[in-house]
Amino acid sequence: MGFLPRKTKVKKSEESGLGITRKYSLTRGRSYIVEESPPDISFDAFVNIISTPEAGGCARSVGLAISRQHPDFIRQKYGLERTPIYWLATRTGQEVIAPTNLGILTHTLVGFIDENPCAVILLDGIEYLVSNNEFTKVLRVIDQVNDHIAQTKAIMIIPVDPRAFDQKELALLERNMEKIGRPRAA
Amino acid sequence: MIELLVRVGFHDVAEAESFDSALEVYKRDRPKISFVDMVLPGKNGVDLTRAIVSLDPKATVIAMSSIINKKMIRESLEAGAKDFLLKPTNEIALSSVLTMWSD
Repeated sequence: MGFLPRKTKVKKSEESGLGITRKYSLTRGRSYIVEESPPDISFDAFVNIISTPEAGGCARSVGLAISRQHPDFIRQKYGLERTPIYWLATRTGQEVIAPTNLGILTHTLVGFIDENPCAVILLDGIEYLVSNNEFTKVLRVIDQVNDHIAQTKAIMIIPVDPRAFDQKELALLERNMEKIGRPRAA
Repeated sequence: MIELLVRVGFHDVAEAESFDSALEVYKRDRPKISFVDMVLPGKNGVDLTRAIVSLDPKATVIAMSSIINKKMIRESLEAGAKDFLLKPTNEIALSSVLTMWSD
């Protein structure tokens, strides 16, 4: 008899369309890194993609956000009513993933992609994960999820604060991901 | 916002800071695209969008806000806005909107 991991299945739900246009043209089956702080572009892209229709095989995308920011704050700011959001924190709760529990994190991400081949994943809080684990372990999680994404029509967006990493770590993070430019905000 | 518009190639840009001054600027300059903040001193951006579209039914208004309030976005689209931008915006999102809605 084995233990069933927690969060074996994330309840998915599509956001209602906003009636606005698609502003980010990201390729399916790819992961993207956005060097920015705060993660404005990443959240904008995430919300835009899951709230707008798409031509092709993924008419509607289902999102999953994992963030250091509290889910209530994210729901309120970005108007996300149905998207599952997990909080990276050392608290207990249904919508919480402990930063040290990389197994649960991987399982949650991979499971969601398996259930939703057109998934859009936002993984915000890499800096927090790295401050609680060795960098190589966090990189292994990203690579594992990245490999999974490459075999599906999913997309993963990872905001990264470049001030929190050295050049070698940034290069390793960017190795298997496309970079979304770092335009200046206004 | 002006700096970003200039950077993406729009050099003729006017700015207004209230409902009334925005209408004056619109009547005077007839801009090709108007970016309307949903939160304004006095009336809100939905009212301003409605007023601009009543002046010029072909006006291209892009609603902007720092939060995504679906009810407000729907109201602004119903009032005549063509699209929505989340603030702070960036070159990718802005360029996409400009490509979509400018001539």
